[in-house]
Amino acid sequence: MTERDPATPLWWGTIVLRVITLLFAAGAVLVHRDGYEREWLAWTALGVMAAWTVGTSVCYSRPALRLAALVAVDVLLTCGLMLTSPFVLSAGQYAEAAPLVTTVWAAVPPLAAGARFGAVGGVVAGLVVAVSTGVARLEVNLDVARDGVLLTASGLLIGITATTARRSQATLARAMRAEAANAERERLARSIHDSVLQVLARVRRRGHDLGGEAAELARLAGEQEIALRSLVSTKPSVPVGGPTGTADLRSALQLLATSRVQVSAPAGDVALPEGTVDELVAVAREALSNVERHAGPSAKAWVLLEDLGEEVVVTIRDDGPGIPAGRLAAAEREGHLGVAQSIRGRVAELGGTATLETAPGAGTEWEIRVPRESRSGRRP
Amino acid sequence: MTISVMVVDDHPIWRDGVARDLGEHGFDVRATAADADAAIRIARAVRPDVVLMDLNLDGSSGVRATQSITGELPETRVLVLSASGEHDDVLEAVKAGASGYLVKSASVTELVDAVRRTAAGDPVFTAGLAGLVLGEYRRMASAPADDQAPRLTERETDVLRLVAKGLTARQIADRLVISHRTVENHVQSTLRKLQLHNRVELARYAIEHGLDDGEDPDGG
Repeated sequence: MTERDPATPLWWGTIVLRVITLLFAAGAVLVHRDGYEREWLAWTALGVMAAWTVGTSVCYSRPALRLAALVAVDVLLTCGLMLTSPFVLSAGQYAEAAPLVTTVWAAVPPLAAGARFGAVGGVVAGLVVAVSTGVARLEVNLDVARDGVLLTASGLLIGITATTARRSQATLARAMRAEAANAERERLARSIHDSVLQVLARVRRRGHDLGGEAAELARLAGEQEIALRSLVSTKPSVPVGGPTGTADLRSALQLLATSRVQVSAPAGDVALPEGTVDELVAVAREALSNVERHAGPSAKAWVLLEDLGEEVVVTIRDDGPGIPAGRLAAAEREGHLGVAQSIRGRVAELGGTATLETAPGAGTEWEIRVPRESRSGRRP
Repeated sequence: MTISVMVVDDHPIWRDGVARDLGEHGFDVRATAADADAAIRIARAVRPDVVLMDLNLDGSSGVRATQSITGELPETRVLVLSASGEHDDVLEAVKAGASGYLVKSASVTELVDAVRRTAAGDPVFTAGLAGLVLGEYRRMASAPADDQAPRLTERETDVLRLVAKGLTARQIADRLVISHRTVENHVQSTLRKLQLHNRVELARYAIEHGLDDGEDPDGG
């Protein structure tokens, strides 16, 4: 148990309840003492109960002392005290169902067990005390059964509450760690922006003006500058607070930006199921590598992401020479239309459509439309 | 007539480099500034034709400086020159009154051209900014509460989509069979509507929250 136990309010609840039920037990002894077989034993048991109440109150108020063994002893000692009842109460009192020496005080340990061990511990402790009640009553009747149900149920409920509280705290701790990691990433991004990026940008521009070998260095610096810039400007691909199993298509596509590929997108996250995001990024990557292969290394390309609510549109355009009319159809007839077929197939799997527009001198343009299955992932 | 320019950037290597590049290409670099407050103060004094504004001055203060400068000096145009990766802050700066946006990775030729066009009152749009503006109009259209929000005409949507796909104004004019000037006007109009809406929203916010003296509560 760490220094900060989220079940602490439950422990304080058991302490308060134990003090109140002790007073109740003392009242019951006062009322019934004249009829007792052995009054001295009743007072002795009450004294032990008082001492135990003080002792457990001190221990349960400190997280470090909420020991498993102490809780177990708590349950057993309570049962022991309860079992003095047959020696205290007279036969007449049993006949009129006078309360046991411990009365409701005995209901507290199952609560402590629930707080310490969770639902299962609470139920077990509740059953132990319930059985012990039956033994002390010397019979099993409707009252004993009802007490048993109540004891077990209260142990169960406190146990569930304690477990839930601990889980929420663990979740919160995880969220805080993720936030810290994000803050660190932002700090790095800022410092990269303030130093490395500025120098790279300057080298690129000055080198370009100088020409010759310096221009080659400038080109290299420029490529690294763009790569670094898209790395530090891209948010983690899981939208914060979004439903699980979704990812942000926008930040995933932005990673495709290079010195020749420009990515345009809306300002906010475009949340889609993770698998859809992976497929669409793969499709865009395939189209872009096709651009490089057919339009040459000097061709530029643009990726546009649009979120229309009901559907998401990704457009990949290049300014290369384009494909002459008829050549595409010819290739299709000859059965080797690798990339176009692969892109169409992947998009069809997502329930979308892929259209290719091309003309000689006008470049090629893929328009990929994929419906949004559920609007729950939408974040306006 | 020589175009006067002011360069705002918190990084000295970049700031002085850009100032020198522009000086070499015949611009009158009147001043430089390293932070938003200095930028607002100096712009008031020198009234440049074009302010080249970096957005990464502590937090979002580049957006604030853009808002102040375009609000106070109607003759001065702000061109955002940012490394911020075409995100929310670029959109905010444009809504605050910037008339264009260029990435820092643009070449000197592109920069010189962009400053000239900004001075002439033409919008400077990258594909990235068009994507952001398109997204913003669609966001407003899908927000049911905002019936005051501006809408794009069909033609404006077509033009913005083509800009976002990397076509130049001339290519767009050819494809839509309209004049080059008409393309620029459409782009200009999408910006103006956003900026106007932003001003109305700010004024409404000020009235609702009683900020009638224009003081920036965060200190400014």
